[in-house]
Amino acid sequence: MQANIIYEDGDHRWIMFGRDPNKSDGIIDTNQYMIQSGDQAMLLDPGGIELFAPMLSAVLKFVPTDQITHLFASHQDPDIISSLGLWDQALPNAKLYSPWLWESFIRHFGMERIQYCPIPDEGLTLGLGRIQVQFIPAHYLHSSGNFHVYDPKAKILMSGDVGAALEGTDAPLFVDNMAAHTPKMRKFHQRWMPSNEAKLDWVRRVRQLDVNVMAPQHGRLFQKQHVTEFLNWFEELPVGIAIR
Amino acid sequence: MPTPIFVTAASIAAELHQAMLEAKGLALTAKNARALAVRAGSKTVGFKAITHFIDELASDIIRQSQYINGVSEGLSQQAVSLWRANTAADKFQWIERQQLAHGESLRNAMRTCYDEREHLSQMLTRGIRELEAQLEEGDKHIRTANLIATSSKVEASSAGDFRAQLEVIAANITATANQIRQHLSTARRLLNQKHT
Repeated sequence: MQANIIYEDGDHRWIMFGRDPNKSDGIIDTNQYMIQSGDQAMLLDPGGIELFAPMLSAVLKFVPTDQITHLFASHQDPDIISSLGLWDQALPNAKLYSPWLWESFIRHFGMERIQYCPIPDEGLTLGLGRIQVQFIPAHYLHSSGNFHVYDPKAKILMSGDVGAALEGTDAPLFVDNMAAHTPKMRKFHQRWMPSNEAKLDWVRRVRQLDVNVMAPQHGRLFQKQHVTEFLNWFEELPVGIAIR
Repeated sequence: MPTPIFVTAASIAAELHQAMLEAKGLALTAKNARALAVRAGSKTVGFKAITHFIDELASDIIRQSQYINGVSEGLSQQAVSLWRANTAADKFQWIERQQLAHGESLRNAMRTCYDEREHLSQMLTRGIRELEAQLEEGDKHIRTANLIATSSKVEASSAGDFRAQLEVIAANITATANQIRQHLSTARRLLNQKHT
């Protein structure tokens, strides 16, 4: 499991984990993130059960377990949070922030010790160490209860499945050419995202944020200039195509 | 390939549920037999006495099947918890070998996990022993059922006009006892197979 520090300012860090060369071929490559500030850290979409050991191993290179105080699951999918039953053994005092809609579903992954903190539909702001992070509504993108995470100090938006591209583990970390990258995203967004209305609402919200890095859960990350290009591209893209 | 114990325990619970349904059928057979014996009068006094035993036997089997069912279901849940603890313990051991900067911070969680694994493992061993003992007990009920079935046949043969009907009931008891024996022996075979 590779770890890349994508932002660092004193004890405030964003680390991206992924591109695991040892992962089984049959499972989709995922990006996991950790935000650290002061003596607290939050894992964002910590991943599937298959990734638990390499992920925990990668995380413990940066932070001790008692400082991993928060988990975040953008939605209920297995590649997002099916490792919960094992994190439950490793981080018994942690809190899991996730859409209220999915609480009784996510608990099926096994959760006896970790506390579930439901995020209301309108989102919320959470103090983490010395910073504040915002859970931004991203409902129907693609899940019916879905949030992204925005850190206004680091100006990073963790955008879940929005901006995702299905690429190999040897893909570069950042998008370098949008024209070359959009074909890798098109089908994923058209098929997975069900609602044009939800898409436009999200684009409107994100345009109001100051985003230096957009960090999706699959594929490459976007730097500032490519974020704008992505929003324009996504705004025009018809989604929910399977029923046409 | 070894079968996970939680699969075995759930399968045993299913077998015992079937045995319980058979025993409920046996209780119904006992009621029919008693009604027939009352109608038949003095020629079936012996058979009438046997129906009480059938009824009692059916109740015992139902009670015991429900108990074993509960034990098996509990065992299956414990085995799932043990599997999870084992999975976590394996991952922790792998991480321990990495000599990570903050590996030590996992120590408490590891200890809790290992303690829980030990506790669950002991509970599972006790539960399996309990299951073995209960299945053994079930065999005694089957032996009793066979005796009752034989006695029923003998009594049916001297029941005059009601002979044919009582023979059907006696055959019914034999068939049900065989079905229950089959479920118990499947349960025992499941318990004796290799487990992970």
